[in-house]
Amino acid sequence: MAYLERSSPTLKETLLKIYRAEKPIEIDQHFYEFGSIQYHIKCSVLDTNIVYVSTSTLLETQGIVTSKEILSATYEVIKNIAVGVIDIVDPPRLGFQLTLKLHLDNIPRGKAAEAIKIITRISEIQAIILSSQLKEMLKRLNFQDDSQAMNNNNRPVRIVYHPSEPFYVFRQAEKITAVFPMNFKDNSDVVIAMSFFQELVEVGSQKEMGKAPQCSWSPVPPFQLRGEPVHDLTTNAGFVSFDITSRHVEGKRLDKTVWNLLNFYAYVKYHIKCTRGYIQRRMRKRMDSLVKRLNNTRFEEESPQKENGACKYVKELVKVQKGKLMMQQRCKDMTRRVKISKFRIRINGCARFRFNQRWISIPKFSSKSSK
Amino acid sequence: MANPLRLYLACIRNTLEAAMCLQNFPCQEVERHNKPEVELKTSPELLLNPVLICRNEAEKCLIETSINSLRISLKVKQADELENILTKKFLRFLSMRAEAFQVLRRKPVQGYDISFLITNYHCEEMQKQKLIDFIIQFMEDIEKEISELKISVNTRGRLVATEFLKQFM
Repeated sequence: MAYLERSSPTLKETLLKIYRAEKPIEIDQHFYEFGSIQYHIKCSVLDTNIVYVSTSTLLETQGIVTSKEILSATYEVIKNIAVGVIDIVDPPRLGFQLTLKLHLDNIPRGKAAEAIKIITRISEIQAIILSSQLKEMLKRLNFQDDSQAMNNNNRPVRIVYHPSEPFYVFRQAEKITAVFPMNFKDNSDVVIAMSFFQELVEVGSQKEMGKAPQCSWSPVPPFQLRGEPVHDLTTNAGFVSFDITSRHVEGKRLDKTVWNLLNFYAYVKYHIKCTRGYIQRRMRKRMDSLVKRLNNTRFEEESPQKENGACKYVKELVKVQKGKLMMQQRCKDMTRRVKISKFRIRINGCARFRFNQRWISIPKFSSKSSK
Repeated sequence: MANPLRLYLACIRNTLEAAMCLQNFPCQEVERHNKPEVELKTSPELLLNPVLICRNEAEKCLIETSINSLRISLKVKQADELENILTKKFLRFLSMRAEAFQVLRRKPVQGYDISFLITNYHCEEMQKQKLIDFIIQFMEDIEKEISELKISVNTRGRLVATEFLKQFM
């Protein structure tokens, strides 16, 4: 289950848009993802087949591997995504760590599925860059012999992919430990996260999960992190540690392990967000049922039901009545008109008194002048 | 329903049945005003003694009665942090939507989690017995909902944790 896709959705969408465009389009797009990953896409009308994609991220690592630059091995991996399509521009665009020159005309036109696959792989560059650093570190830590590790004082490596989410990796006997200091802004988030960590530790200790890395949670930081910055070690949800053994960094598993460790923060946050949504949904449902129950307490509650039951018949009766009444009314009107037409003496203005209001006496007309 | 809870609810029901005999009574202080006396407490002769029913320290119900209004305040059990958060969230959610309930107070009485205010007008509009049934049902539902939510949150957490660890295998 990878809820956080490796490929950047915006980058993928833009590249596909350029690839599928029938007319040449000009794009100069600048955007951020996850607060710390920056992208810049540039495509000119003059040369529609070439797209420049620049990217940068917060790669701050202290310890064995100190780099704000991308490792040379990573360049090779990126180039091999699609040979002939990707060129790495050296030096990269100002303010970016990597600039790629994409030859979209080299992507096969006839095979749409293959083109989408290549573009998806290209939009995974950030995932490749982020993973490569940790991958390299795990490899180095793994292959270091114990004496070398001792010489290095087993000093933890601080990895920062997001300014507020650093984590530490250090070597212990036959294993590498990744420690995540967990911090949340909201109190309810802390409680949901804590219950999740408890379950994580419990599930990790089960026999079925024997092959998964051992997981532990502690409210205090492990002693190996002594001397690290205080603001990193001040947490409100404790410290989660994963013990990575050589089994987890063998072959294809290394990729998965690295990706899971990188996404642990995002994974927990996503779980919290979903849980909050779930709670909200249930509360809404329960409220509706309570309101319905309260509305049933009204005195009119029984009568509307009966009315509803009888309503059809009443409507039908009214309908029949209306029809009959209208017919009667029309007949009366017709008779009246006939009578008026046959009346011998006609006085203008007095016609309305003739039949309907015969009882009304003829008004006496008097004038002041007569007095 | 567990026996102690049944006794607690039966006690509340009996007290409410006795207390809910409200009548229209205009304000004695301000002419042509009609206010719930239990809220204003301007005339002590119009107030009855409040009744406090406790199941335990963490779970209690305060019933304050006056001539034209009745105030019921509830404190819900919160055994741990998760229950505490869920109770707060749920009761706040309901209080924010008090207009849908009519008898619900927007702000609970100090020291309690949720309060109801029933006036003589409510008693004229609604059936007394059904209104009492609603209050009792509400209490049962709150307890049930919170315990169900707690179980669900933990179950979800377990499933998510299992899925996460499975990815390493």
